[in-house]
Amino acid sequence: MPITYDMMKRATAQLYEWSLRKVPDDTLEALRRARETETNEVARRTLGILLRSAEMAETQDRLVCSDSGVPNFVIGIGTGVRLEGDIKRAVSDGFDELVATTNPPLLKHVTNPLTNERSYRGKEMPLVTWDLIDGAEHVDITCQPKALGSGRWAAMEIFTFPTLEQIERYVMDCVLKAGSQHCPPVNIGVGIGGTFDYCAKLAARATLRPYGTTNPEPILAAMEERLLKAVNATGFGPMGTGGDTTALGVHVEYAAGHGFTPVAVAFNCWINRRTRARLYGDGRLERVE
Amino acid sequence: MEEEIRRLRMPLSAEDALSLRAGDMVLLDGEITITAGLPTHHRIIEVAEGRREAPRDLHGGGLFHLGSYSRETAEGGFEVLYMNPTTSTRFNGLMPGLIRHFGLRAVGGKGGLDAGCVEAMREVGCVYLSFVGGGAPLLSDAIRAVVSVDWNDLVSHYRLVTLRVEALGPVTVGIDAHGNSLYGSLSETAAARMPRIMDDLARARAQDGAEEVT
Repeated sequence: MPITYDMMKRATAQLYEWSLRKVPDDTLEALRRARETETNEVARRTLGILLRSAEMAETQDRLVCSDSGVPNFVIGIGTGVRLEGDIKRAVSDGFDELVATTNPPLLKHVTNPLTNERSYRGKEMPLVTWDLIDGAEHVDITCQPKALGSGRWAAMEIFTFPTLEQIERYVMDCVLKAGSQHCPPVNIGVGIGGTFDYCAKLAARATLRPYGTTNPEPILAAMEERLLKAVNATGFGPMGTGGDTTALGVHVEYAAGHGFTPVAVAFNCWINRRTRARLYGDGRLERVE
Repeated sequence: MEEEIRRLRMPLSAEDALSLRAGDMVLLDGEITITAGLPTHHRIIEVAEGRREAPRDLHGGGLFHLGSYSRETAEGGFEVLYMNPTTSTRFNGLMPGLIRHFGLRAVGGKGGLDAGCVEAMREVGCVYLSFVGGGAPLLSDAIRAVVSVDWNDLVSHYRLVTLRVEALGPVTVGIDAHGNSLYGSLSETAAARMPRIMDDLARARAQDGAEEVT
């Protein structure tokens, strides 16, 4: 059975709606663990407030954050899938329908960068990264709405044959620049290699990795662990008012490149907004996270 | 965690503002004015310069960087469905003038304000309160009444909204009226720690067998 326009429209709207109300389970778990080990009293209490807010949103079906962000999706299409209808249009129509029907209504965050006017629609919205999954019989959809804490502090620089030391220093420079401003404790994604655009995608993809996962490449697994310690030694803490918990995880992804090596750093705020589901031809939407 | 948290009446008295210290956690009762809009700040500056009529008196009040969803009710009033802080630092350049002109006793949002603002706050006797980001359910439940919604031609979160709240928070005093800023000192501390942090990273790389010791 084919995956249709209607199924895609419903699925992407549904994922957006979920992402605004539920802090992912791995994130709740990481926040709880951090509260147990945090040595700063204000930080411990702040983590408690964050957890309470997440719990209220989930149990009372409310928005965690008033900034519902702009719609941003990563969609992987299984090569065994048959598609029917305008699948790209389904994603933007789904967002239009969500905006028209969701309760409570969302604030207007889609911004025309040329005039700074804000509305629900805009050029190239929703932002979608399309990908293929060899052999799969489903469409894998991830929704990661982007707002200040999950977008504003990202940065990239292109190096030439950088050492690991240079890469790690750059990550730390970005952490210092973001400081208290991105609603920590954050999920930090680092991309190394590829090209300008590809590297940015690697960093964004790294922020989608659940806490507790490590890169299978041993050099990066070790780097992730080192950097997490380093970031938390800065002391910015939860909501940037001080403490041991500035990041809950550092995730690094890499791609081969030319030797001019981009390094991109992206942050996802404490609510670590992301939902992911598999859509099958029989209409089943199986929520993964 | 509810125990013994200090409650403050808004707008803050001069004494209450001066009594607070960076790092204190408090709950707020009373009237606050909020907006998350840059255009709104420009309008407030026009008010300060006498080029625009003030929709309401901001003198001595609390002006916070919180965005809210407001809409008209059938009775012709307004309701606020939810609210949450936004990043204050993008208003850095505008806040010292506003703090001084209106003698604000409290400002706030999330992420803090810069040294120029800290100085204006010290002169005037004003504190910066940090609200948790992603705290919409918690913060919205403290709303008891919508006092006014002004500049309705702007998108909802930019409007100037005055609310009556009860037990709003807990909020953390990020900057006190004595020139102490958690944000300033944390940035300085982090920058000062960087050489040691980089040394530790180098040692860890050597241990991990990733690179030569530098």
